[in-house]
Amino acid sequence: MSVPDYMQCAEDHQTLLVVVQPVGIVSEENFFRIYKRICSVSQISVRDSQRVLYIRYRHHYPPENNEWGDFQTHRKVVGLITITDCFSAKDWPQTFEKFHVQKEIYGSTLYDSRLFVFGLQGEIVEQPRTDVAFYPNYEDCQTVEKRIEDFIESLFIVLESKRLDRATDKSGDKIPLLCVPFEKKDFVGLDTDSRHYKKRCQGRMRKHVGDLCLQAGMLQDSLVHYHMSVELLRSVNDFLWLGAALEGLCSASVIYHYPGGTGGKSGARRFQGSTLPAEAANRHRPGAQEVLIDPGALTTNGINPDTSTEIGRAKNCLSPEDIIDKYKEAISYYSKYKNAGVIELEACIKAVRVLAIQKRSMEASEFLQNAVYINLRQLSEEEKIQRYSILSELYELIGFHRKSAFFKRVAAMQCVAPSIAEPGWRACYKLLLETLPGYSLSLDPKDFSRGTHRGWAAVQMRLLHELVYASRRMGNPALSVRHLSFLLQTMLDFLSDQEKKDVAQSLENYTSKCPGTMEPIALPGGLTLPPVPFTKLPIVRHVKLLNLPASLRPHKMKSLLGQNVSTKSPFIYSPIIAHNRGEERNKKIDFQWVQGDVCEVQLMVYNPMPFELRVENMGLLTSGVEFESLPAALSLPAESGLYPVTLVGVPQTTGTITVNGYHTTVFGVFSDCLLDNLPGIKTSGSTVEVIPALPRLQISTSLPRSAHSLQPSSGDEISTNVSVQLYNGESQQLIIKLENIGMEPLEKLEVTSKVLTTKEKLYGDFLSWKLEETLAQFPLQPGKVATFTINIKVKLDFSCQENLLQDLSDDGISVSGFPLSSPFRQVVRPRVEGKPVNPPESNKAGDYSHVKTLEAVLNFKYSGGPGHTEGYYRNLSLGLHVEVEPSVFFTRVSTLPATSTRQCHLLLDVFNSTEHELTVSTRSSEALILHAGECQRMAIQVDKFNFESFPESPGEKGQFANPKQLEEERREARGLEIHSKLGICWRIPSLKRSGEASVEGLLNQLVLEHLQLAPLQWDVLVDGQPCDREAVAACQVGDPVRLEVRLTNRSPRSVGPFALTVVPFQDHQNGVHNYDLHDTVSFVGSSTFYLDAVQPSGQSACLGALLFLYTGDFFLHIRFHEDSTSKELPPSWFCLPSVHVCALEAQA
Amino acid sequence: MAVCIAVIAKENYPLYIRSTPTENELKFHYMVHTSLDVVDEKISAMGKALVDQRELYLGLLYPTEDYKVYGYVTNSKVKFVMVVDSSNTALRDNEIRSMFRKLHNSYTDVMCNPFYNPGDRIQSSRAFDNMVTSMMIQVC
Repeated sequence: MSVPDYMQCAEDHQTLLVVVQPVGIVSEENFFRIYKRICSVSQISVRDSQRVLYIRYRHHYPPENNEWGDFQTHRKVVGLITITDCFSAKDWPQTFEKFHVQKEIYGSTLYDSRLFVFGLQGEIVEQPRTDVAFYPNYEDCQTVEKRIEDFIESLFIVLESKRLDRATDKSGDKIPLLCVPFEKKDFVGLDTDSRHYKKRCQGRMRKHVGDLCLQAGMLQDSLVHYHMSVELLRSVNDFLWLGAALEGLCSASVIYHYPGGTGGKSGARRFQGSTLPAEAANRHRPGAQEVLIDPGALTTNGINPDTSTEIGRAKNCLSPEDIIDKYKEAISYYSKYKNAGVIELEACIKAVRVLAIQKRSMEASEFLQNAVYINLRQLSEEEKIQRYSILSELYELIGFHRKSAFFKRVAAMQCVAPSIAEPGWRACYKLLLETLPGYSLSLDPKDFSRGTHRGWAAVQMRLLHELVYASRRMGNPALSVRHLSFLLQTMLDFLSDQEKKDVAQSLENYTSKCPGTMEPIALPGGLTLPPVPFTKLPIVRHVKLLNLPASLRPHKMKSLLGQNVSTKSPFIYSPIIAHNRGEERNKKIDFQWVQGDVCEVQLMVYNPMPFELRVENMGLLTSGVEFESLPAALSLPAESGLYPVTLVGVPQTTGTITVNGYHTTVFGVFSDCLLDNLPGIKTSGSTVEVIPALPRLQISTSLPRSAHSLQPSSGDEISTNVSVQLYNGESQQLIIKLENIGMEPLEKLEVTSKVLTTKEKLYGDFLSWKLEETLAQFPLQPGKVATFTINIKVKLDFSCQENLLQDLSDDGISVSGFPLSSPFRQVVRPRVEGKPVNPPESNKAGDYSHVKTLEAVLNFKYSGGPGHTEGYYRNLSLGLHVEVEPSVFFTRVSTLPATSTRQCHLLLDVFNSTEHELTVSTRSSEALILHAGECQRMAIQVDKFNFESFPESPGEKGQFANPKQLEEERREARGLEIHSKLGICWRIPSLKRSGEASVEGLLNQLVLEHLQLAPLQWDVLVDGQPCDREAVAACQVGDPVRLEVRLTNRSPRSVGPFALTVVPFQDHQNGVHNYDLHDTVSFVGSSTFYLDAVQPSGQSACLGALLFLYTGDFFLHIRFHEDSTSKELPPSWFCLPSVHVCALEAQA
Repeated sequence: MAVCIAVIAKENYPLYIRSTPTENELKFHYMVHTSLDVVDEKISAMGKALVDQRELYLGLLYPTEDYKVYGYVTNSKVKFVMVVDSSNTALRDNEIRSMFRKLHNSYTDVMCNPFYNPGDRIQSSRAFDNMVTSMMIQVC
């Protein structure tokens, strides 16, 4: 006996072995169909008794095993069922002959046999035969089961007769010696009459009878027989049979204790119908023996009245612990015989199954360990595989998963051992898959994504390599790619650099034939291999959704604000809400993306591989919105640090978009990596709203782009910067081309400007524009261009230095209240000469040529298309950088009274700070040419201004405005008035540039006062002619000349009364004034005039007369009497024109 | 005397494994890995009874043709497994026990290193390495 039955279990001892075999040509399918039906009849209750017969069917059984049938009767083939096809009567004899041949093989042991013939019809069928059954075909054979039952009953009859025959054998007859095949030669020539020999014969026969009893369903009897046999055999040291008797005892006890069976699934089936399950459970409990009820005794009639069997049972049956001891003993006896290896092996297996049920794993492992070392003859490869598989199964049974996996893997390797001609890669692969749980390896990468790696990496890696290799040899490249991807993904931390290279290299080789996909691969065994996304190639550390660039960012119209606030809660703040918000997982990011615009997501990635990693086709995975992902390819250097990667895409519809992950192609494997499954990833939310499409505006200007970037203030980000260089006072047109480069029509445009705060004081409007002309071209269709013009006018302070102004104020020049009679002779005070008028020293030049900058931001708010209806707009900012070079400076300003009290001269020292020749002109005067760096004085005659008549500046209306501000505004208004009156312009002919110059900044209070009309307006009339300026009043000698002094009071209060004295004098034009004119000029009446008090806006006049006695040029100086009243008023209010009278010879 | 020494974490993955360089390393990996079945079984068998006072030394886990595998488990369920050549009959149970104690002490020292993260592989401890080496080459 050489072929072990690894499936054996203790219960098999009570079964009858029936071999079912095909004869002739029977298709496998048909055979197994019938075989299955036959197998369903596995237990039979024999009529008239409570005994149950168990049948074990085999379709293949080695005849040499049959030879051990005397040793253990369940090894004996007692029945043969033959299945055959026979279609014609003439084949029948031949078929029948074959059946007989088949019978011969097991002939010595057969109790009975049957032949099932399919297909035959005709007269032969009519003959009633007990051993042959005819069926027309494989479908039409309902009576098969019935025939089998009959067959088994006939087997039972033979069995029962044999049992009775042997059991009643009394010692009077000579008992034959039963022996196993290899023993036969040992007993040749032995004394058969010795006591020892007889005992041996007895013991063996007892054991045999025990076997038969057990098979016949008489458990108690068998126990008794086994016990007796053990006693007998022990005394004669017949170890092999002693072992068999002990094993029989164990088997019977196991059957008794574990009616559920020890052989796994088949055991459970074996017991159905014969006992109640509840009872079965009851019997499991150790120590419950006293109340045990014999399964055979439990019938409809109640408990078997024969109590003697009950008593015997409790005594004879082994306790669960004893079973193991006896098994151990039996095995130790078996092990003495080399030829009984199979028996020993099977006994071990049976014991292990019992121990597994008893949950005594450690002892079971010892039995198994022993079984491993049992050396059978040279095993075939197939047998080796079977042996390793069964060892693996048994280890699994006792909970030794690792050991089980180890043997399964050995079995798998055996399938493809080099000695095998046709390696069974498929079987190898299947077995390898079964080892996965033992190595705590699942093929789902999700199990590895969280936490630390589980299991023993070294052995896991080995297994994966083997899986890869087996699947490749199986001719399933998709599978090997999947396994290799899995290996790379999950074992990355354990691979050495060289291994990483090798794995990557072979993966690329495989994928060149069969690219890795994201489809789960279903295996025939029902297992599915989930896809393996390469989340570690590269490793993504940080995902950030980027806002659109500032110029493309959508803004919500203000009017629609508040709707999202109101929906949430009536409370401005509530701790509950705040708490909830914190828990929100997918918090929405508070910016929007725009449909149709390219949106970006930034990933921080790094390459853990020791070589350059090429990542192709890297794109975004999104949901919620139709999204066109624009994949990128990147190449990461070996073991790179964090490396930013920007993935882009275009949302095609609106709604809420969620970035779920990204997809890559690495080494030819497509991966979809979901962010949720990535460990240790930092993300600041992945959900963002996509709003409807908006137009896109591109602006280009007539000015060159600037390298300067303005400091971004309050969130404004400037997309374009332009710069221009201008001379102070110059203006320029900035033409802006507005192009709609989006897909939506541009419907709305608003322009605002913001001048960035500078220290420079700016006069006038820096930027001005007319939007109407541009808006006339709207709506602007995609691709169309509109133009928009902006005037830039720079007017900074034309005074050069603050300290210069200071100088002017304490200059005091021309401040004297009384005009001099000959202003042209007015001597400029010497200190003016002291000033560096001509080319200033170098350090001064630096000050003058100081370039100032002005910066402004133009904001274009635009909208259109569906986004406009949703209330969104975009904001495009244009930064404007103006470098202001100084053009002219007014280094000094002063006034000189003109001859008329209504006018005065403004003296300006103009300094040309450019490097070009420059002309300065005013509205009234000729152009003044200034060379570079030259300073000249120009005098401008100006009418005095009546500032009071100006409409009050808008600042006046605000009562809250502080007086200082008010004053400031008033000054500005005055400056503007003066500026417009003067109209000073400069021109650089060589550059063909021109601009304005303004004195606004340098008019101080003092100068202003001089330029202001006094509130008291004095008019002097000579002979009814107003006498002012240079005009000379002519009169005749001897005629009295009427002199009238009029006062108009424009001040808000009443003035006066005043006393005036007219003092005549003659100017000798050499600095000498002759006041001694008593005999040349005589007054008619008094030389002193009196004016009454004048009410506000009132008028008053006084009259007098003069008589010139000689001809000549006379001047009249009207002088106020020094009195207290006039002291209160500023002296400039009492500025009377001087009168020049020319007395002529009286005409005849 | 030992041919392989392994330290295995509570979660049954190797923290440290070293075997004689002359032999196939993977063989020992398999050997130690399968021995964990026995370790688990032994722990669960004695688990409930007197956790504090239980013997840390598990004794012989299983013999193979050429080797004997011994086990030791700390109170924190860290396992030490030692594979010894079975031809070396001079080695007594007591000596194995004392070797395990030494190993345990050395492991405790490794754990005391503030720069060592529990659960990481023991890679950079020279003292531990030396101790293991001494146990492997020492010939009785």
